[in-house]
Amino acid sequence: MKKIIFVLLMIFAVIFVLTPIYLMVKISLSPPAEILTAHPSLGMHAITLKHWKAVIASGELLPPLSKSVIVALMSVILSLLLAIPGAYVLSRLPYRISSALLLFIFLVRMIPQIEIALPISVSFIRLGLLDTDLGLALAHTLNVLPIVTWVLVSSFKAVPADLEDQAAIDGCGKIRTLVKIVLPLSLPGIVVAAIFGFLGSWDEFIYAIYLCLANKTLPLEVYYYINRASFFIASAYATIITIPVIIVTYVMQKYLKSEYLAGAVKG
Amino acid sequence: MIIKAAKKYWLEVLLVTPLLAYLLGFTLWPIIHSTIYAFTNYINGDFPSLVSFEAIITNFQFKEAVFNTLFITFFSLFFELVLGLGLALLLLEKFRGRKFFRALMLLPLGIPTIVVASNMRYIFDTNGFLNEIFYRLHLIEIPINWLGGGILTLFTVVIADMWKVTPLVMLILLAGIESIPKEVLEAAQIDGASYLRRLWYIILPFLRPFITMALIIRGIDAFRIFEMPLALTGRVVPVLGTFSYFEYREYGNIYTSAAAAAILMLMIMVAITIYLKVVKQDEVAL
Repeated sequence: MKKIIFVLLMIFAVIFVLTPIYLMVKISLSPPAEILTAHPSLGMHAITLKHWKAVIASGELLPPLSKSVIVALMSVILSLLLAIPGAYVLSRLPYRISSALLLFIFLVRMIPQIEIALPISVSFIRLGLLDTDLGLALAHTLNVLPIVTWVLVSSFKAVPADLEDQAAIDGCGKIRTLVKIVLPLSLPGIVVAAIFGFLGSWDEFIYAIYLCLANKTLPLEVYYYINRASFFIASAYATIITIPVIIVTYVMQKYLKSEYLAGAVKG
Repeated sequence: MIIKAAKKYWLEVLLVTPLLAYLLGFTLWPIIHSTIYAFTNYINGDFPSLVSFEAIITNFQFKEAVFNTLFITFFSLFFELVLGLGLALLLLEKFRGRKFFRALMLLPLGIPTIVVASNMRYIFDTNGFLNEIFYRLHLIEIPINWLGGGILTLFTVVIADMWKVTPLVMLILLAGIESIPKEVLEAAQIDGASYLRRLWYIILPFLRPFITMALIIRGIDAFRIFEMPLALTGRVVPVLGTFSYFEYREYGNIYTSAAAAAILMLMIMVAITIYLKVVKQDEVAL
């Protein structure tokens, strides 16, 4: 009896999770007649690549796709430049100070984005940064930087202090120690940080909607097509955004710890 | 003393300053500006003035936005916690395919919110899939207008939000459950404590700090909810975030927009204060 309930619950959970994703893919591959009726079909009967061809042929996919990629890369690079030296120091500070600073970085992520996006977009108009890649990347860095910093601090902490002491005795300066010893050893952590940081910009919506006008990112395109009730185009764009994210989350799920996602659960 | 410390640590300070300066600059400066806008009279430019606050408080859309924000926060937190706990308990059991099941349950975490909103629209549309399933099960004759407004639409937003973030709650609670010493649970089992009693007397008390943490972290996120109601319901369900956005984009009024943002900020600051208190308490307890 207990086992049956258990299995039923699991089946329900799986259906609940998979249905929306299945529908997204299905709609992007379905002929309009199957969807735009009072009784849409549930299974995949006729598969058509019509909507995908239309999306690719329209030539409207490339600009938002490249904008999303460029902005994400810019914010990751900027974040790494700022966070690598910063996180190195944080990882070597006494626990009391470093945990206070990490808590501050965590709190930055809790500020409502609209409170920041509004004045930024007003002054970006003046600075000519509105609707530019750089402007959006500067805002996205605020999202990406905390993620990158957390991941880096914990991977720098994993580098044994003995190694650094040894280097210091051999007359190696602190910067050289960081570049020659700590960075190569924590390369996997840097890659993880960069990938999570990339995703932090890739699917960001609020800063994008405040700071973009004509040159949209992919999430804004989805919103645009939802508003025009173009279900098929919207689902194709939605699938395009989702594919890399799903692959990355699946491959990197062992790094998906609650500490990274929620900030430090224990403060 | 200070000079000595400065001499010794100048390099560390130099390395950490850009990081902190960027974060501080990109938060403090905008918050100050936003607050100045909020307290500026948008008719004659007087400062300080409460005109913007008076204007939005008498706006019925604003009242609706506050109500909707609180409603969505309350119900999505409630459901996410119950479901997240349920999933975490399921994952506590050993069974074949546990790893795969966990990976599957984490999937929504990776789906961008705007995509979730778009997917939920296929489900909750009048000609959508939920109505079709209900129709095929002979539960309804006439399609239900899920996204037409009212409590029903608020619940669609709650369900959509729940779909996306329950995995996060699950992860936090799972970390909590895994921190319970195995011997304690085994001892209780040997002593013949039933599953429910073990849940109530051992697991839940252990989880208390994790539940509080999940509630506050998720609560702050729920206050800031933006693209989910915007993309799922259009303007049918205004929340504080989208209200502020429309004041700026549609009516070009940065002052009332900033006033609404300031109220949202205030709500979040209260939540953060509680959070910090809880963190402190737990550190004492640990």
